Amino acid sequence: MIMHKPWKWTLWLALVPALSFAANPRLVLPDFTALANKASDSVTITLDASMLSLAARFLDPNDPDQAAAEDAIKGLQGIVVRSYTFDQDAAYKASDLDGVRSQLTAPGWNRLMETRSQKSHASVEIFLMTDANKAVGLAVIASEPRQLTIVNIIGAIDLEKLHKIEGRFGVPKLDLGATKAPVSH
Amino acid sequence: MTDDLESKLRDALRPAAPRENFEERLMARIAAAQRDPVKRRGAFTPTPATWWFSAAMAATVILAVGVQHHRVDQENREKGLEARRQVMQALRVTNDKLDLAYRAVRDQSGAIGGDPGA
Amino acid sequence: MDEQLAQARAGNLAAFGTLVQAHKRSVYSLALRMLGQPDLAEDTAQEVFMQLHANLRSIESSEHLGFWLRRVTTHRVIDYLRQRPSVAITSLDEEAEQIGSVDSGDPLLQRQLRQLILGLSPDARAVVTLRFQEDLDPLDIARTLNMPINTVKSHLKRSLDLMRQRIGQSS
Repeated sequence: MIMHKPWKWTLWLALVPALSFAANPRLVLPDFTALANKASDSVTITLDASMLSLAARFLDPNDPDQAAAEDAIKGLQGIVVRSYTFDQDAAYKASDLDGVRSQLTAPGWNRLMETRSQKSHASVEIFLMTDANKAVGLAVIASEPRQLTIVNIIGAIDLEKLHKIEGRFGVPKLDLGATKAPVSH
Repeated sequence: MTDDLESKLRDALRPAAPRENFEERLMARIAAAQRDPVKRRGAFTPTPATWWFSAAMAATVILAVGVQHHRVDQENREKGLEARRQVMQALRVTNDKLDLAYRAVRDQSGAIGGDPGA
Repeated sequence: MDEQLAQARAGNLAAFGTLVQAHKRSVYSLALRMLGQPDLAEDTAQEVFMQLHANLRSIESSEHLGFWLRRVTTHRVIDYLRQRPSVAITSLDEEAEQIGSVDSGDPLLQRQLRQLILGLSPDARAVVTLRFQEDLDPLDIARTLNMPINTVKSHLKRSLDLMRQRIGQSS
């Protein structure tokens, strides 16, 4: 089928917005200064590839935890953590996370699971970005009554190594190979 | 019978103490590990004043360079340790939230079908 | 104890000494019950605390400290035992002739139980010691040893069954 030139250009133009919003494993996090000011405690960690490489040189291979950590961060390009703890419930709004969630709806990101606990009133969403069947990005959003946590891991995430971390620090065994996003309520 | 054996095991495995000088020896090992590299020692032999002056200048330069290297090494070490601390904390926070998801799923499984581990 | 930990992390050796004082029995005993040799257990305990001193900045709380010490100690001993499987094994058949019933001579039975533990595999020794010396539940043992919980339960059951069989408890 021969496309008229104008039609072809229209097609390209239609694609450009999609291309420009192509998924990026590195999330652009909003400015959480307001939340940080309200928080009684906050964790702000931004580690790029050079910092991860530096840290790896100082991880003790004789310490089981540090050896597992060194193995887990191999091939990663970055780890970002933002965690805010508040003295009272409902100190943040769901809309504070809109900017993060909108990025996680982009093509490439899959929501692996979403859990909501009636007991702890906490919800945890886990997202994975894949590229040619390889995991290249992980995002975790944990919303608890008095704590909000966002984790973004960028790079060649080795799901096997993440599985090996499971069991350390109490990490659960997750079926991270699943592409569906089961929701438990 | 099980309880009896288990209580006997607890009796048999009550914590024992190491020898009395355990901490003393440990602290001595730590102090030895923390000591700076062996300082150069030696008797100074009398030398002509000019030689002495040149040697003192050379020593000052070497010392300054050494101190600078040590400072850079120390800074790099501190940066590396801080990076390590942040990596461990980041992984702990991540694992803590994954555990939160796990417990929610486990609690739901328990609510629906009873204790899966029973 | 968290205050002592904070001070130790800041470089206060006296505070570190307090932490050692608080945990040395547990660490030493873990090593002793798994190795069966007091000198070796002391060396292991010393090395664990040396490692702790070098890694204090990664310890975040008193609870984490206990977990870390148990984990590092058991891993060190298991690695050692796997390289030197002949350490501290006595013939269980010889022991069996002397074993009486559960109710007879506690000190003797205690020594015999400890000998039976030394006859277990390194992993099983660790599981039994963590269970009955440290009073950890199977889930905490699994986390400490990075072992599936079902494997922990299996080690426990088989070890207790073996000990019961060797002791020959009367029903």
